[in-house]
Amino acid sequence: MSTPKTIPEYLEQLRAALKDADAAVVQDALYDAEEYLRSELATRPNADETQLLAEMATTYGKPEEVAEIYLEREVQVSAAFRSPLNTDALERPSSSGVAAIAASQPRVSFWAKFFGVVIDPMAYSALFYMLLSLATGIFYFTWTITGISMSLGLGALIIGVPFAILFIGTIWVLSLVEGRLIETLLGVRMPRRPSYTDKSRSIWQAIKDVLSDARTWATLFYFLLMLPLGVIYFTVAITSLSVSVALAFSPLVQFVHSDVVLFQFGSWSLMDHPWLTLPACALGIFGMLLSLHLARAIGGWHAQFAKHLLVKVGE
Amino acid sequence: MTDTEVHLRKFQKELSTGTVSLVLLSALAQAKEPQYGYQIAKALEAAGKNLQGESLISGKQSAFYPVLRNLEGTGLLSSRVEPSISGPPRRYYEITETGRAVLRQWQAQWQQSKQFVDTILQGALS
Repeated sequence: MSTPKTIPEYLEQLRAALKDADAAVVQDALYDAEEYLRSELATRPNADETQLLAEMATTYGKPEEVAEIYLEREVQVSAAFRSPLNTDALERPSSSGVAAIAASQPRVSFWAKFFGVVIDPMAYSALFYMLLSLATGIFYFTWTITGISMSLGLGALIIGVPFAILFIGTIWVLSLVEGRLIETLLGVRMPRRPSYTDKSRSIWQAIKDVLSDARTWATLFYFLLMLPLGVIYFTVAITSLSVSVALAFSPLVQFVHSDVVLFQFGSWSLMDHPWLTLPACALGIFGMLLSLHLARAIGGWHAQFAKHLLVKVGE
Repeated sequence: MTDTEVHLRKFQKELSTGTVSLVLLSALAQAKEPQYGYQIAKALEAAGKNLQGESLISGKQSAFYPVLRNLEGTGLLSSRVEPSISGPPRRYYEITETGRAVLRQWQAQWQQSKQFVDTILQGALS
């Protein structure tokens, strides 16, 4: 590989060296390298960029050395900080080293896995995300539809273009917010960085960059899709939870206040059959566990889906 | 690369795995205000030059960044992002209370290990 002469060239080589790595690792590596290189360049404004990059190879590292450091770190970190219970919900890095470590861990029995979900914080946060997604989904949808229609409507006027640009800007910010939400609640890295303006490029070029960035359009699509998804997630979460909780507490309800109408089908009511409430309770607890598993699975799936549309598209 | 150099590189790598975390945590504990990656790297580089020592991470400062991110992930550091005029927004790191408590334990552990290794190297067994 030839020695890079400019910072973009350096970053390009680094990206090439990391081509098999997880998207999060690639973003982190590129972001860190850019911070370091541009900071160094800023401290010595008169220095020659080529000369500077040659020096960087010994202090910061050559692109391929940097890539190696990040790949190694990724393996070590995922081995050290991943609690065994959370591995299902967390994404699996592609590096083979991690797979080897995961394989060497003691096997957990099916039942331990099934009941283990109770103490997995990721299941609860995924459930919370499902409930929240109705609200965020409605907001994203309204915002996107309003923005698109107003941009089109104002297109004929002089304020049309600035308005559309402003709207796209808010979409980028919202996408960052959604990324943080997913990171916190679903535990998947969403390494989308706030955009910044490269001083060497004009404002028009920057606008063109944003408009030609596939992620802008994928994000709009994601936000529109969040309304139906949010409705579905919310409904699934509420239904599965309320049915399980009602079943689980039916013996207690029967004991305290048997007049309550609970699980009535036509003339048949669970409350008329006190002996049935005990198996119903067991079924309810089973249902709760199942709901948590479902929430974790949906959370994991949604995070991958979101990562694809908000982060990976166009890379 | 000669044969002994390969062994040296491998040893450096193994040695740096734990010590880089200790050094970064200690550097941020001494810092008066939050610092970003490049600042920390340069401060450590300057300190390393005064001692004329071999660099801890075989000279590659890029290794600091993933460690900073890990330390933040485990709650020993906290960070915030601020825009910068020279390039991408910078992530400023600051040590947390947990971080300080952990650092005290790490320091004690380091002293013990250092003492033990020194004792052996100075020929305690002969």
